[in-house]
Amino acid sequence: MKIIETHELTKEFNGLVAVDKVTFSVERGEIFGFLGPNGAGKTTTIKMLTTLLLPTSGTAYISGFDVVREAAQVRRRIGLVPQRIVLEGDLTARENLLFHGMLYGLSRRDIEAKIPELLELVGLKERADSKVRTFSGGMKRRLELVKVLLHEPEVIFLDEPTVGLDPQTRRKIWEYIQILNRERGVTIFLTTHYMEEADYLCNRICIIDHGKILDIDTPQRLKDKIGEGDIIEMEVSGKGEKFAQALEKECGCQIKKMEENRITITARRGEYALKEIFFLADKLGVEVTSISVREPTLEDVFIHYTGRGIREELVPGSGMMKYLTRRLKQ
Amino acid sequence: MSFLRELYVVFWKEMLLWINNPMLPVVRALVFPMMWIVIFGSAFGGEVNHIPLAVVLSDTSELSIEYLNALNIGTTLDIKNTNLATAQKMLKNRKVYGILYIPEDFSKKLAAGEKVSVVLSLDETTPQISSAIVAHVTSATQSFSKNIALAENRVVVEKNTLFGRGIEYLDYLAPGVVMMTILFSALFSGGLNLIIDREFGTLTMLMVSPVSRDAIILGKIFAGVLQSITSGVVALAVAMLMGVHLKSGAAGFLLMVLLMFIAGFGFIGMSTAIGTRISELEQLMVVMMVLLMPMWFLSGGFYPIESMPDWMRPLAIVNPMTYATDAARSIMIRGIIWETLALDLVVITTFAVAMFLIGSYSFKKTLGGVK
Ligand SMILES: Nc1ncnc2c1ncn2[C@@H]1O[C@H](COP(=O)(O)OP(=O)(O)O)[C@@H](O)[C@H]1O
Ligand SMILES: [Mg+2]
Repeated sequence: MKIIETHELTKEFNGLVAVDKVTFSVERGEIFGFLGPNGAGKTTTIKMLTTLLLPTSGTAYISGFDVVREAAQVRRRIGLVPQRIVLEGDLTARENLLFHGMLYGLSRRDIEAKIPELLELVGLKERADSKVRTFSGGMKRRLELVKVLLHEPEVIFLDEPTVGLDPQTRRKIWEYIQILNRERGVTIFLTTHYMEEADYLCNRICIIDHGKILDIDTPQRLKDKIGEGDIIEMEVSGKGEKFAQALEKECGCQIKKMEENRITITARRGEYALKEIFFLADKLGVEVTSISVREPTLEDVFIHYTGRGIREELVPGSGMMKYLTRRLKQ
Repeated sequence: MSFLRELYVVFWKEMLLWINNPMLPVVRALVFPMMWIVIFGSAFGGEVNHIPLAVVLSDTSELSIEYLNALNIGTTLDIKNTNLATAQKMLKNRKVYGILYIPEDFSKKLAAGEKVSVVLSLDETTPQISSAIVAHVTSATQSFSKNIALAENRVVVEKNTLFGRGIEYLDYLAPGVVMMTILFSALFSGGLNLIIDREFGTLTMLMVSPVSRDAIILGKIFAGVLQSITSGVVALAVAMLMGVHLKSGAAGFLLMVLLMFIAGFGFIGMSTAIGTRISELEQLMVVMMVLLMPMWFLSGGFYPIESMPDWMRPLAIVNPMTYATDAARSIMIRGIIWETLALDLVVITTFAVAMFLIGSYSFKKTLGGVK
């Protein structure tokens, strides 16, 4: 039996379709990721799967139990780490764990027995009796991760687990998520709008935008789908169009995108293609002002499906450019 | 897991949070009422009007009738001319605030040029009212003497207080402050708590757990009621340290706690219902200004309802705080007299049951998700 199974799961908010006929399934033991920009419907999906929100239509099963009709059974089998931290800041780490365990009917003694081991797992043993208010963002995340382990759920839902954390802390959280998955055998369903995160952690990724699933596959196969080889991005001055046509004809490159004098192409072996590109540029009297070669990322996959970047809407209009310039600088 | 255990877990966490920082919530609930006492308590001073007073005319001579007419001048008193037994019953049932007894030998003694005493028995629960009665009776007596052309005033008003000692403004104010503390504490423990829970998502923790929805609601409400009672008891203790007396000792105290419990349920229910309707702290401040402040000012907590203009009185009559304050004042000053408490207790209990139902219903509705 699949641990999560949905069929045409849909949620409407006063006419706005936040999640649109979503059908997917998750295997036991997987790390499965929902990747999509803000407002894609990730949180809404998690809320329906965790019984916090009634679906408008469609069905969802957790471990074979219907999330609407058998909510109590579902609740016993899941753990949720929401997008916003939901620890009680005025209670200590120990008290938070105690309360959580008690909510799931565990006895105080059983909980107390588990606490040291769990805190050890995420390096918080020394802080057991400090108020959670005094914890850093990363520490709170870590505490939340082990908190949901207390009642031994079959699947843990992580909604944007590293949002707002610095890169170093993010790495740490990634490690802990992998430990939970590997050593505890917990299935993980996570959502994110960081493609590096999805790429690094997930066995399979579901790309979602405007409530609709665009594709579900392993990160590698998703990247392979958009064409073989490397991605070359360049900026040229003068006769861009003609240059691009020549590239396609003479170098066997594929044009992915053309914006005035910015050209994105894919080439089978990027390093070798460079030589030909510069040769051709010389011949046509075109100046290449900047150029970069890289392997395709999930961002490219997302652009392939939607024509825009995942984080574009954060800085309207300039997201893609920022992303490219950062790439060039690296 | 049994329902009671679920209820206990929810309750336990709320109380743990509260106990972690016990001074803050109590002080928070006390600060506003105390501050207002200082600011307004001494500044208030409305005219008291239409005070019911029983007059017992043992002597029905012309002179006594004339005295009665002198008393009847103005709007301060509503004179009820009756016999002694009825008057005493009325005083006990609080239909009147006092009895003026005019002796049989009233006109005989006056005619003989002797001094005569009229006896004024007062319910001093409301000091502003009893002093207004005394002032009016005294001046009416003087003008009566002048009217019948006596050289000197030979009618002596003898005062007789019903509850033993002189009641001061603080005694009058304290019961209202206790109830206001409950009301404020309920606003914090019910409405504010709910808004914060939603704002910080801590409610989600409960919602994804298998704990039943009813246990979540009841656990939070019970915790809120216990927190409110605690604040109320602290307010009562502070008042007693400042010299306020509590009639009927331990029994009176227990009855006060029972009253706080009932009122607490009503106010927690009310503030929970409010908390489910609003989502921002600023809005809660508005609620405080437009609902809580009038609830106190129009409760007779500061100054008797009798001092309000007529158009305002209906507001006091529909205000649950009026009954809670009045019941508390009755217990603290008069002691346990069921006849005087009955109406208050019935009204406040009805209010509590209704608000508890409304509060838990609207809470359940806003929880959303799968039941
Ligand atoms: N309670 C709600 N009422 C109305 N609209 C909502 C509500 N929750 C989410 N939405 C809308 O549904 C869409 C998906 O939101 P969400 O699932 O939170 O996206 P994500 O988590 O992927 O950023 C957004 O357009 C959002 O504005
Ligand atoms: Mg989200």
